Amino acid sequence: MSSRQTRLASLRAEIAALETLSQPVGEVLPFGDARVDGRLPGGGLALGRWHEFAGEGLELETAAAGAAFAARLAAPLTGRGALVWVLRRDDLHAPGLAGLGFPADRLIQVCARDEAEALAVLEDALRTPGVAAVFGEVEAVSLTAGRRLQLACESGSATGFILRRRPFGGRDRGDGTGSAAATRWSIASAPSQPATDEPGLGPPRWRVSLERCRGGRTGGWLMEAWEDDDAPHSLRVVAELGDHRLAPEAEFKLAG
Amino acid sequence: MPNWAITVWRRKQSSSSPVDAPAGPFALVASDRGVRKLYAVDAAATALGLYPGQKAPDAMALVPELVSAEADPVGDLAALDALVDWCVRFSPAVAADPSDGLFLDITGVAHLWGGEAAMLDDLLARLAAAGIAARGAVAGSAGASSALARTGPDRSVVENGEEAAAVATLPVTALRLEPGAAAQLARLGLARIGQLAALPRDQLARRFGPATLTRLDQALGRGEEALTFRRPATPWFDRLAFAEPISAPEDLARVSRDIAEALCRRLETEGRGAGRFELCFHRLDGRGERLAIGLSLPGRRADAIARLFAPMLETVDPGFGIDAVTLAADRVEVLDQRQAQLDSLGEVELEEGVAPLVDRLTNRLGEERVWRAEAYPSHIPERAVARRPPLTVRSGADWRVDRPRPVRLFRRPEPIDATAPIPDDPPVQFRWRGQLRRVRRAEGPERLAEEWWRRPPGETEPGHVRDYYRVEDETGARYWIFRAGLYSAGVPAKWWLHGLFG
Repeated sequence: MSSRQTRLASLRAEIAALETLSQPVGEVLPFGDARVDGRLPGGGLALGRWHEFAGEGLELETAAAGAAFAARLAAPLTGRGALVWVLRRDDLHAPGLAGLGFPADRLIQVCARDEAEALAVLEDALRTPGVAAVFGEVEAVSLTAGRRLQLACESGSATGFILRRRPFGGRDRGDGTGSAAATRWSIASAPSQPATDEPGLGPPRWRVSLERCRGGRTGGWLMEAWEDDDAPHSLRVVAELGDHRLAPEAEFKLAG
Repeated sequence: MPNWAITVWRRKQSSSSPVDAPAGPFALVASDRGVRKLYAVDAAATALGLYPGQKAPDAMALVPELVSAEADPVGDLAALDALVDWCVRFSPAVAADPSDGLFLDITGVAHLWGGEAAMLDDLLARLAAAGIAARGAVAGSAGASSALARTGPDRSVVENGEEAAAVATLPVTALRLEPGAAAQLARLGLARIGQLAALPRDQLARRFGPATLTRLDQALGRGEEALTFRRPATPWFDRLAFAEPISAPEDLARVSRDIAEALCRRLETEGRGAGRFELCFHRLDGRGERLAIGLSLPGRRADAIARLFAPMLETVDPGFGIDAVTLAADRVEVLDQRQAQLDSLGEVELEEGVAPLVDRLTNRLGEERVWRAEAYPSHIPERAVARRPPLTVRSGADWRVDRPRPVRLFRRPEPIDATAPIPDDPPVQFRWRGQLRRVRRAEGPERLAEEWWRRPPGETEPGHVRDYYRVEDETGARYWIFRAGLYSAGVPAKWWLHGLFG
């Protein structure tokens, strides 16, 4: 190995150490599919961290797909402790969450008056012992706010699921590239496909792309809701998407 | 308080103008059915033989130097109300006894003054310092204390069970009787309460009315009396009085912690916790600055309670100083019998972590901003959720998951322009928020009729139904849309978007 390569390797290791914030990945929540878990450090969604979920277009205003996806993803954590959902607009419909297998009547819902208050409540909830999962709907998480959330996660035991959501009619305030989140996901709904050519709707599908992942690799998948008691949660990977921006076109043609 | 109306008038005069109150005989005058009558007379006028209810011209003829002013019964009542608020520093349970009295329920609080007599002395001394002439009595029943305060020896303290003996020599007029009954008793020569009590009960009720018997029983401590207390009587009350008035914010924080510790120690020894605490800072000028906090789970941790009060202390205006602070606990219950509300949470985590979190959020954001959803038996989507305080015991009502419901439900359905070529079919496309969406797949309808029992009879009609469809557009986004009303030819159907599935 030449000296240049050695130096490169050592620099890479240094970067990896910096990226994981120098802590080893603790407990993880596996997706149960090597295609996803293989890209995440530790083989699953890191617990005790916070993860960011965003959408595009109108989804960034409604955060419906993101909420459904995060609720399904967090379902295995719900038995571990209290659940908190911090909102700016209280349009979260508990019967809908209950339909996803989420214990909606145990969820503590908090409606914050503004962005700063939402972040403060999130931080407080993440810090609290006995809280298993904290969901938050905020417009953007600045680098400082992100670090504060991360510190709160570390002093508590909760995992944060932050949905990026802008107020109705508001303008997008940038994508927050300097995020301190452990992972950043982009969630978009995808056309469903009923098993046979039945009328009606098939199980919901999402175009899921892992846009940023500390200590791991990015990727894109087509996931589907899947009711199976043995699976860790009600999501399964239908296909891996090479480039998630091209994929929906192909998918649409297939669906006819 | 004898001559309450005059006391109030004098206080008003002295606050509006520094001129001395009239020294001579003075009376307040009111019109009673067109006749000017004396409403209240002061001590000087009483000495000259004037009495309330006397016709004003007669009084003027008898005592030409009488000074009079217009009576203000409504203002007197308002002043009595203000005095009730002031008295909360002695006991949280204070009730007005119109038109000139006050009841304080001092159950369990007298020990803070070192006994009932000392407490009464303190109360009367403070009233006197404020220029209010008052008489008082402590007794086991409201009726007895009222009779003693008005006509008995001043500052008498009667032990429980001795009310009958204490009031026996008092005049029957002290019984708060109806005027008719009082006049009849006077005609029959029954002047003392003891004489009345010696009569057979059934005759008493028949001749003077059941109200007389009730009043007699109340005075003798045999009957219950329902008083309209400003706050329910509670033994869970503590008080700190200061020799020097305080006003510095750090002092307020310190005394709120001290008083919380004092009350929590008592809660601790009895194995109880409270769900609500009300802190009141009593200012020198008689006003009270009140703060209240609620706990999601009954508790008795003084530091936690003081911490919840801490951010509110800056709203307290100490005025010229605060000379007393009181803390009352409400919703007191035995802590050991509480059931674990969150089954997956350990007791310690709940008490150390989640419950304080909920308290912090509830007290900072307000009760209506922190909640837990619970299934409510209604098929109308917007009514299917009831909001409960977090950490309350679950009712056990289950969510209905047989029908798909959206993750986001708009508070108000949003109108959409839908194109539905076939009646009773979902639309093929619709426009929502300026974007055209082609429907790729649809499910439905699910017909939800209005809850006819919630409307007045005759206003229900079959048109108040909604046909809900679950539709998916080309991008896979799922919407919950409905058509309002039944289809009728020639009338364009109205479509609404009510929610979004994820």
